[in-house]
Amino acid sequence: MTDFISPLITALTLSPAEMQALLLSAKVAVFCTLIICIPGVAVAWLLAKKSFLGKSLLDGLVHLPLVLPPVIPGFLLLLLLGNQGLIGKWLQTTFGISVAFTWVGAVLASAVMGFPLMVRSSRLAISQVDTGLEAAAQSLGAHPLRVFFTVTLPLAMPGIVTGLILAFSRSLGEFGATITFVGNIEGETRTLPLAIYTYTQLPGSDAIAMRLVIISMTIALGALMLSEILERRATKRIGRGNGL
Amino acid sequence: MIDIDFQRTQGTFNLQAKCIVDSPVVGLFGPSGAGKSTLLGMIAGLVKPNAGHLILDGECLFDIKRGIDIPLHQRRIGTVFQDSRLFPHLSVRDNLNYGFNLVPQKNRRLGFSQVVELLDIGQLLTQKPQQLSGGEKQRVTLGRALLTSPRLLLLDEPLASLDVRLKQQILPFLRRVKDEINIPMIYVSHAIDEILYLTSQLMIVDEGKLLANGKFNDIIYQPGVLAMASFLGLENVICAAVFRHDQEYAYTELKHGEQIIVIPLIAKDVGETVTIVIAASNVALSLSVIENVTIQNQLQGVVKEIKHIGYRVLVTVDIGDCLIVAEVTAKALHSLAIAIGGTLYCLMKAQAIRAHGLIASG
Repeated sequence: MTDFISPLITALTLSPAEMQALLLSAKVAVFCTLIICIPGVAVAWLLAKKSFLGKSLLDGLVHLPLVLPPVIPGFLLLLLLGNQGLIGKWLQTTFGISVAFTWVGAVLASAVMGFPLMVRSSRLAISQVDTGLEAAAQSLGAHPLRVFFTVTLPLAMPGIVTGLILAFSRSLGEFGATITFVGNIEGETRTLPLAIYTYTQLPGSDAIAMRLVIISMTIALGALMLSEILERRATKRIGRGNGL
Repeated sequence: MIDIDFQRTQGTFNLQAKCIVDSPVVGLFGPSGAGKSTLLGMIAGLVKPNAGHLILDGECLFDIKRGIDIPLHQRRIGTVFQDSRLFPHLSVRDNLNYGFNLVPQKNRRLGFSQVVELLDIGQLLTQKPQQLSGGEKQRVTLGRALLTSPRLLLLDEPLASLDVRLKQQILPFLRRVKDEINIPMIYVSHAIDEILYLTSQLMIVDEGKLLANGKFNDIIYQPGVLAMASFLGLENVICAAVFRHDQEYAYTELKHGEQIIVIPLIAKDVGETVTIVIAASNVALSLSVIENVTIQNQLQGVVKEIKHIGYRVLVTVDIGDCLIVAEVTAKALHSLAIAIGGTLYCLMKAQAIRAHGLIASG
């Protein structure tokens, strides 16, 4: 019996390098989700509720990373924020900050890629909030800003949470933009997908790659199931329909 | 006092309303699509007029010329919507508190428990809106609006989505709000009996125009009003004094001028004035007093006016100090040879008369 279990444990025990990749991925995904949270809701609200000049342009720009090969956003980030880039150079000389080839850059790369997913889901949720309820809240004396935080936001929450989980999962799986913008530096920018890629390039490392693939799939599946559960629970909490 | 002067064009629909409202409770009456809700929306601040002004108790809320447009949330006008619009993510208590908490202590005219008691919603406080029945929802919505201590309460067909039984349950609450809390109300409905239950002051709207504004009995016979009202179920309103009660047979006799009207027993003292309501379609006409008939009310009168609306005919009869409209068929009119100036009798079944002594007189 023990002869069977111990190789299994060995097989599932992560090497320090693998563990590092896993933790880095988690860190990048968490920060990515955090930084797109507020801008995502704001842009979703703009697109759902307002009509303004250049709306379709903004809409297009936000969604562009969804349809472009990820290498393009990565390359553009490099041009913009790389050490020789337009903003990157200024950041470097003024503040001494460099995001290229750091984990912060990896966060930015996956944020750009996850943003459209977050906005799409939140925008739909916000536009589905009954405007009659918002008008009712205003007629009760609430300032439009208060209405947003007490009526619109809570009622759109299931969709916003779904969007955040989608962006989180997207960040875990981000490859193209990351490797283009911040490279594949062990311990700094080598997230799970990059680690898998690295091992597939090393002869005789298929087993390690496979192990990371299984871990990745488990996390992704878990996140999707969690989003499903959260959404169902939130929908139940805020009630169905518009209170009619 | 509300000084209204609105003009709004939307597509081909043109709405124009200019009037002064100075009675505490006013019914806004008209068919669906007449512009009632738009007019109400412009008062509330939900809909922007193209021109005109709105002055409430001396404060200008809207004036296109002076560029004034007080936003919705600063108008302090409460609205009760037909579809209730309770916040589904909040409990009944939090719904009620939503506006209440935004009102500064010194401006509060009603307490939380006072409103809860008035509307009998104490047992609902912990529930979510989706657990409530239609009637309960409307009571909570009414309470939520009242708790903001509004300067004016707008009721936009609050009973339209309820069945007759539920309407009967809610109306007394509205009546209590009117009688016990001194908040001016504009009550929108296309059911005239609902309005008359609360007030006899009416504003009549049709096709975007304000047809009339005044007391029901004064305006209902104005040109255009009668024809429109008859389509929606025209009601006659008669004021009469309680003359005698008969406990044994459970009826009450009212005296109108020299004529006696028999209605089901009501709990009002002799000598008190009550207002009774009977639908025009429930009034029959006869050239002479009919013996051997169960109809107990046969009021003598003189034909004042005969109006044809399609195949229906509205005959207006003066029964002395009061006009009664009877809806008859063109055939009946012809075979009885009814003509203006002729004397006849209005037949009304006692059971078809609604009194409950509750119909508003003010």
